[in-house]
Amino acid sequence: MDYQNVPGRVFDLQGYSVHDGPGIRTTVYLKGCPLRCVWCHSPESLKYSIELVYLPIKCIGVKLCESACIKSCPQGAISEGVAEEAMDKSGMICKAVVDRSQCTGCLACTSACITKALSPAAWDTDVDEICARLLKDRPFFKRGGGVSICGGEALAQFDFTYNLAKRLHECAIHVCLDTTGYTNLENIKAIAPFINLYLYDLKHMNPEMHKRLTGVSNEKILENARYLAKNGGKFYIRIPIIPGLTDDEDNLSKTAEFCKELGNAVELVQLLPFHEVGKVKYERIGLEYQLSSISPPDDDFMNKTLALFKSYGLHVQLN
Amino acid sequence: MTLSEKRFDLPISARIKDLKAKRERINKDMRLNFERNRIITEYYRNNENEYPVLKRGGFLHAWCTSREINIDDDDIFVGDAGPRTRSVHFDIEVTPHSWFKACFGDTDERFRAAWQVPGSVWVTDEERAFILDAADWWVGNDIASTGRGLMPPDWFEQFPEGMDFSMFSGSYPGHFCPNYERAVTVGFGTVRKTALEKIDAIKADTTYGDVRSELFYRGIVRVCDGMIAMSKRYAQGCRDKAASASSERRAELLKMADALDWIIENPARNLWEGLQVILFYQNLLTADGTHWADSPGLIDSYLGPLAENDIKTGALTQEGVQELFDAFLIQMGNQIIMFPKPTNDTLIEAHNNNRTFFDLQGGMQNLAAGMQITVGGMTADGTSGVYNIATEAMLLSYYRLRVAEPSIALRINQYTPDHIWALGVACSKRLGGMPQFNNDDVIIPAMHNRGIPIEDARQYGVFGCVEPAISGKEWSLPANCGIFGGGFSMTGLLNFVIHGNIDPLTQAQGTRPCKKLYEYESFDEIKEEFEGQIKNAVNRMVRFNQYAAFIFDTAWPILSASVMTEGCVESGKDVTWGGAKYNGHGFFINAIGTVADSLSVIKKLCFDEQKITTRELYDALANNWEGAEMLRQKILNEGEFYGNDLDTPDQIVEWFTNYYADYYMSKEGPYGGTLNPGSLDLFWVAAGKRVWATPDGRRAKEPLSHSSDPTQSAVKNGPLAYVKSVAKMPWYKMRFGGAINLRLDANSVNSDDAEAKMRELIETYFDLGGIQFHFTVADTSVMRAAQKSPKDYQDLVVRIAGFSAYFTHLPRDVQDNYIERYEMGV
Repeated sequence: MDYQNVPGRVFDLQGYSVHDGPGIRTTVYLKGCPLRCVWCHSPESLKYSIELVYLPIKCIGVKLCESACIKSCPQGAISEGVAEEAMDKSGMICKAVVDRSQCTGCLACTSACITKALSPAAWDTDVDEICARLLKDRPFFKRGGGVSICGGEALAQFDFTYNLAKRLHECAIHVCLDTTGYTNLENIKAIAPFINLYLYDLKHMNPEMHKRLTGVSNEKILENARYLAKNGGKFYIRIPIIPGLTDDEDNLSKTAEFCKELGNAVELVQLLPFHEVGKVKYERIGLEYQLSSISPPDDDFMNKTLALFKSYGLHVQLN
Repeated sequence: MTLSEKRFDLPISARIKDLKAKRERINKDMRLNFERNRIITEYYRNNENEYPVLKRGGFLHAWCTSREINIDDDDIFVGDAGPRTRSVHFDIEVTPHSWFKACFGDTDERFRAAWQVPGSVWVTDEERAFILDAADWWVGNDIASTGRGLMPPDWFEQFPEGMDFSMFSGSYPGHFCPNYERAVTVGFGTVRKTALEKIDAIKADTTYGDVRSELFYRGIVRVCDGMIAMSKRYAQGCRDKAASASSERRAELLKMADALDWIIENPARNLWEGLQVILFYQNLLTADGTHWADSPGLIDSYLGPLAENDIKTGALTQEGVQELFDAFLIQMGNQIIMFPKPTNDTLIEAHNNNRTFFDLQGGMQNLAAGMQITVGGMTADGTSGVYNIATEAMLLSYYRLRVAEPSIALRINQYTPDHIWALGVACSKRLGGMPQFNNDDVIIPAMHNRGIPIEDARQYGVFGCVEPAISGKEWSLPANCGIFGGGFSMTGLLNFVIHGNIDPLTQAQGTRPCKKLYEYESFDEIKEEFEGQIKNAVNRMVRFNQYAAFIFDTAWPILSASVMTEGCVESGKDVTWGGAKYNGHGFFINAIGTVADSLSVIKKLCFDEQKITTRELYDALANNWEGAEMLRQKILNEGEFYGNDLDTPDQIVEWFTNYYADYYMSKEGPYGGTLNPGSLDLFWVAAGKRVWATPDGRRAKEPLSHSSDPTQSAVKNGPLAYVKSVAKMPWYKMRFGGAINLRLDANSVNSDDAEAKMRELIETYFDLGGIQFHFTVADTSVMRAAQKSPKDYQDLVVRIAGFSAYFTHLPRDVQDNYIERYEMGV
């Protein structure tokens, strides 16, 4: 049962990732997601294609680099901005300005930019390369930690995720799969032997609402969860609490009921209150943030929700 | 129910709250300790010709028997090293005459603006007159004079201004771990008796060599007599106070009086007595010389049995034990050394900005005299851990009271119970890196490998910032972080290698001629030169350290340490004559990240990949990167840097730290003792101001990397890679210790199991061979807010190096650098 060294597209890798499963974990983030949750806090993960990331704070002004990015752009999408004071107060500089409407995403500027103010949002790799990097952290996994594979939706790059999980499993590394569960049952069946724990999202119980909020229906998701629960899968169920969207009592009760139905397979339910951390990420890749009018749920509400899940006999936690 | 099970809701008693509030009040109204300096000046003036070890004993006896007995109405324990709670200490015999003249010999107007306004440390006109007169007498009689009279010509060539005397002036070098356990469990009476017996034996058959020993014993008897008398004077003081006290307080004072009549001379019988002995002994050490950064050693190992017995007999409840530890912690923190010395300009400016003397002092480790308490450990035979009610109560006091001083170290080994781990991590998280965590599995073998029997190695305590020493048996005074007599900086050597034995900032020449960067033909040749520079610097430093230790021999014995340090009374030798059972001197190298990153740039970009020529890099450095910003950016973005678990820089670190460690250890230290390597830096911001541009892209005068930590901005692969890189240093050779210092953002430690995960991280670092672990949890936003309104963040404590400090008292540039220091967000 040898794994295959297939290519994959990754947008981040984080050590000491303490919110993604038990113990000390290193999390690898895969690019691309079939869902479009309106509250998504990692917009840079959505598309499979590699966007241009621009961090103006790193730009030292186009004079110094002799307009490297401007010259490199075949579309003329980059220009010299208005003069502003340099961060180190060494004088006035003109930073690069990217016209997103002209940008085709060719990323030529990212090779030209020496300070990496312009950089690609992801990189292409393969199972061997990413494993070699992950295994460097192995000493930290001895006490119950391991690797978490996250998205986007990790199962959208199924071949890569499947082979990565298989390879890590062969190395006796504890593997968490952070998934929306939105995939075909065949995929779930195939990968199940290599996954120690699913960080499984339940976003909404009503199929219509689910479609409205995420762009897809929840039928496959619930079916896959039931299958895994019956076949030895273990879950941390994660429930986003988005004021006005997912937080009505009916939905929360039904979610709790569903968790209960999955039985012992559910080790933990984690409630994820809405937060605004994602906002700045939209700006970096030139997207508009949709949820400016929503503020995080208050403590009272979260405590009530916690109590609700507890009343179903579930082990529940606030994240 | 054990203490830890109810740790979070155990109330702090009203008396303790009052003591803590009193301390805050005093911080706005402090006094210098002139008393001690009057007594020593008078004694030394009147007994000029007495043999030094007798003179020292005589002064200490005079101090014990004539000092003011200070008992406050709310005291749970009694005594301060000065006449007033939280007296600020300085030693007239080590303070430069020029400082006294500049401060107290200034115009009346400026003197008053600096020393006689609210918030200043108040100096009266009478005290001013005394100190000016006394300071004149000490010219030619002080320690610096002894030093100038014996240091060799090559030392004066390297330090023409006598630099290193002014550096240590104001406090003795300190840094040692005398035997407090002996003071508590044996007492000064027994030591006195032993000394008298030794004198009798010598009298019967006196050799030439015996004379010095007998003089030493006579000095020891004076110290013991003095200490016993002082305790009894305090007993009388309590009785006097009792006469007019309320009935409840009267009963307490009379009980204290009975105990004070007994202790010091005799072994402590209960927890209160044990703690009071530690405080009295600490007062003696402080009065002798403000020996900063010393340590009462493994206090729980000798206080635990007393506390447990008190519980068993019903003399104390667990709440009672806790209250005593709380009071003890506050009182230990009352030892304050004036360092750095303020000038009238800095004081006047501070007062104009509504800042106090305490604000100027408060950021550095001079608070609590840089002391360090150690808890946890294992028995001498290694078969079980030492974690008892005292371990827990001490940690809990820190957790509850949120004080940053003195420092505390927790020993970790296979026996460390889960509840101590949990308490240690929770406390460190709340209190900016206190306790620091020490890895017995590395430190004990490191000691043992240096010739210390395993039973003694298991009894190490931590003094100073991070330095392990055998509790009560090892003398390390010449250490003072290694700089006493003259240390060196790794970045200084790096710049010699690059600029042909010249420091471009000062144009000063080194002592080992070499090529310039563009003249080397290979990276190996550069490595060889760097090794040569290390060797040369170590040789010179060790030579000067031996001389510096010799300054104390004969002229400046340290009887307050010798009276209790194992080996001294046994051998008839003062600690400064090599009397301690073990002698271990150490030196810290600094700026591991800056040096490693610089060499990595030269290796990878200049030689391996040939993307930059050494000439280009040299020219850019010579011009402090002026006109070479693109080259600098290329280096910052294409270099491989330490702290990312990458082979090139990490192997460079392994190479030069091993080289330094091996070479330093191969030499013999003062008194024939060991020389022990370590890595730490307290002043990376200030030190950076004295260092020219470096190849890692750092501009001249910017901060250096901190201790053995990576350069803040160079860390790109997260905390696990950071920890792994640092663990690659040869810590098993670094008997002198060294800090990894992670700053984590609050979000990464706020989940339910965050403390357990923090423990996993520390355990893994220790598995990988790490020696000591420090972390601070703080948000950049919180620190920025604290800068804006310091008054609201008085309790914000952050880890600096081997000690923690109140954030709002740090100098602004250190605060800014601290905020920049890599924050491990998750």
